[in-house]
Amino acid sequence: MIPSLRLDPRAKLVIVICISTLAVFLEKLSFMLALLVATLLVAWLFQLHSSRSIGRIKKVLSVIIFIAMLQSLFTNAGTPLLSIGHITIISTYGLQRGVGVLLRISIIVLSAALLTTSSSRDIVQGLIQWKMPYELAFMVSIGIRFLPLLAEEIQDTFVALQLRGVELKKIPMKRKIKTYSYLLMPMVSSVLIKGRELSMAMELRAFRAYPERSSLRTLKMKHMDYAFILLSLSLTSAVFYIYMHY
Amino acid sequence: MTNHLEISHLWFRHQAASDYILKDISLTIGRGEVIALVGLSGCGKSTLCYCIAGIIPRIYPGELKGEILLEGKPITEMTLPQVACRLGFVFQNPDNQLFSPTVEDEIAFGPENLCLPQPEIEKRVVESLSMVGMLQHRYKNPHHLSGGQKQLIALAAVLALNPEILIFDEALSQLDSRGKAMIQQQIRDLKSKGKTIIMIEHDLNNIVLADRVLHLKQGALIAYSGSF
Amino acid sequence: MFIHVSEVSFGYKKGEEILKAISLTLRQNQFTVIRGDNGSGKTTLGKLLVGILKPDSGSIFIDGRKTSQMSLGEIGKQIGYLFQEPERQIFTSTVGEELSLSLELNNEKDSSQQDRVTELLELFQLLPLINQFPFFLSRGEKQRLAMASILVNQPKFLVLDEPTTGLDQVRRRVLSELLLAQRAKGVGMAVITHDEEFINRLADRIIVLEGGVIKSDTFTKA
Repeated sequence: MIPSLRLDPRAKLVIVICISTLAVFLEKLSFMLALLVATLLVAWLFQLHSSRSIGRIKKVLSVIIFIAMLQSLFTNAGTPLLSIGHITIISTYGLQRGVGVLLRISIIVLSAALLTTSSSRDIVQGLIQWKMPYELAFMVSIGIRFLPLLAEEIQDTFVALQLRGVELKKIPMKRKIKTYSYLLMPMVSSVLIKGRELSMAMELRAFRAYPERSSLRTLKMKHMDYAFILLSLSLTSAVFYIYMHY
Repeated sequence: MTNHLEISHLWFRHQAASDYILKDISLTIGRGEVIALVGLSGCGKSTLCYCIAGIIPRIYPGELKGEILLEGKPITEMTLPQVACRLGFVFQNPDNQLFSPTVEDEIAFGPENLCLPQPEIEKRVVESLSMVGMLQHRYKNPHHLSGGQKQLIALAAVLALNPEILIFDEALSQLDSRGKAMIQQQIRDLKSKGKTIIMIEHDLNNIVLADRVLHLKQGALIAYSGSF
Repeated sequence: MFIHVSEVSFGYKKGEEILKAISLTLRQNQFTVIRGDNGSGKTTLGKLLVGILKPDSGSIFIDGRKTSQMSLGEIGKQIGYLFQEPERQIFTSTVGEELSLSLELNNEKDSSQQDRVTELLELFQLLPLINQFPFFLSRGEKQRLAMASILVNQPKFLVLDEPTTGLDQVRRRVLSELLLAQRAKGVGMAVITHDEEFINRLADRIIVLEGGVIKSDTFTKA
């Protein structure tokens, strides 16, 4: 085993894009299972702590079960496994689809976690060195950075609204929706304030002074990075070829 | 001593407001002067500083009359990045001015925008972090630091651009006494290097550092009488 | 009315306890100040008191009732909580509507309550601002608005997180007058702050947190 493999963020990006493209296109369960094994192998290779990813997958599990039920309810394919009267709750087809969605999401979440092993600044730098306009790269990365902070604020706001004496469980649906609509105002104002203060801070530190910018760190691709990019691209093409022809 | 900053007959009204918040302000600040700006909250201290930095009317819309000359040039004819090379601004809320994954990246952001060569960026990162005593936190995530430490990082990030004028918008409010002493020493050092400093202050203890205290009241500058 | 905290521990991450088995009782007839350095767990304790956060172990009782068995709505009718950032608790498009919001949400619109709203608008110097858009108010004004809106529900206890941040001396004095007036009406207070002047002026009892435990608990006035 290679002790803590260090790759250029761009090489990681290629690996993630390859894996998630496959996860989206492959339909057969056997292929998806194989892909999941491959993804786990990659995760092990990069010494990823998969526990957090698994936690995330658990959160969406109920949604997946719901999807499986919907598929069973509205399609007549497959053999019913559980039914009440004439209504099929779970069929083999629905189960199959549900497992498919579960595998797909697990693969994408696991592979995306690979990117968390690089600093976001390095990923931005990689994209810039690959000729992405730096404004765009920074905006996207800062946007992603502020999402969790925003989520925390919205949660606080929701609590504050309930503390005004609203017992959400006891009020009828129509008033519940009206109550929720009150969250809009603090949410919008918070996004506006954040956006404005951030752009002030960035521009007054000379952001967009020139069409180009230099960098404290420059990324340099090594042989190992090229090897991994080549390997993932050729493996992905090979899998597609096999999948289409057999 | 040449005039570093000249404001003449400045009026400003926010887009939604009915009355002017700044009324006919004229002010001249010489190179190397330390100015404290005091007044009740909402009296327009921040607004005045936003005008000086060109943030108004670019980011906050409203009606602006009068002229502001920074090193002899009208601020309206400069872009914000051009202003940034001459003037550094440390804002009130540190959370919304730090946006990088590490302290080092945060400090390097400005010099990188100026397209400085890598060794120069490295030098400025080390220098500015040492000035605020935060060099040992170089590889940390700024969001994991305390409020006061965040303010020090925000200051270092501005110092890395080596500006001639510094504006502190209540930037010492969250510091503990050690941090405050360090910044006060820093202000003295910057002054001895000939930098011009404008501080918006609530804390009367910090006013002793100033050569001149300006009191903003009802949109006009009045003589400071020891309290407000 | 009292809040009793019993052996409460809390951490945002597993294995990282912010508060370690804290026990204390807050009474309505005291003006309690909770202080401590950044990261000592002050804000966390405040959020636990009103049920925004749930303790990992231990329990909190309001008048003998476990908060874990109360809805946030029920707690809100007993305790008012002021966030460090007043923007987080302002919901409507005018100052006037903001104060009537609690009544609107709870379908209570009789005249005595309308009178209370008018009284609070006056007390908190908000009458001239009644038709203003809260987003454009200054920080001090937003804070007075948030506090007045909380008091519409007539809570018996207030928990305030750093209420003097961003206020100048005059506004601080106004705030302490308002708090003293509420206190005189029998509203209990727990204020999280490190503002020395404010503490000296108002506190009957000072609780110092350090590293997640109560370092000292002293009564300043008899």
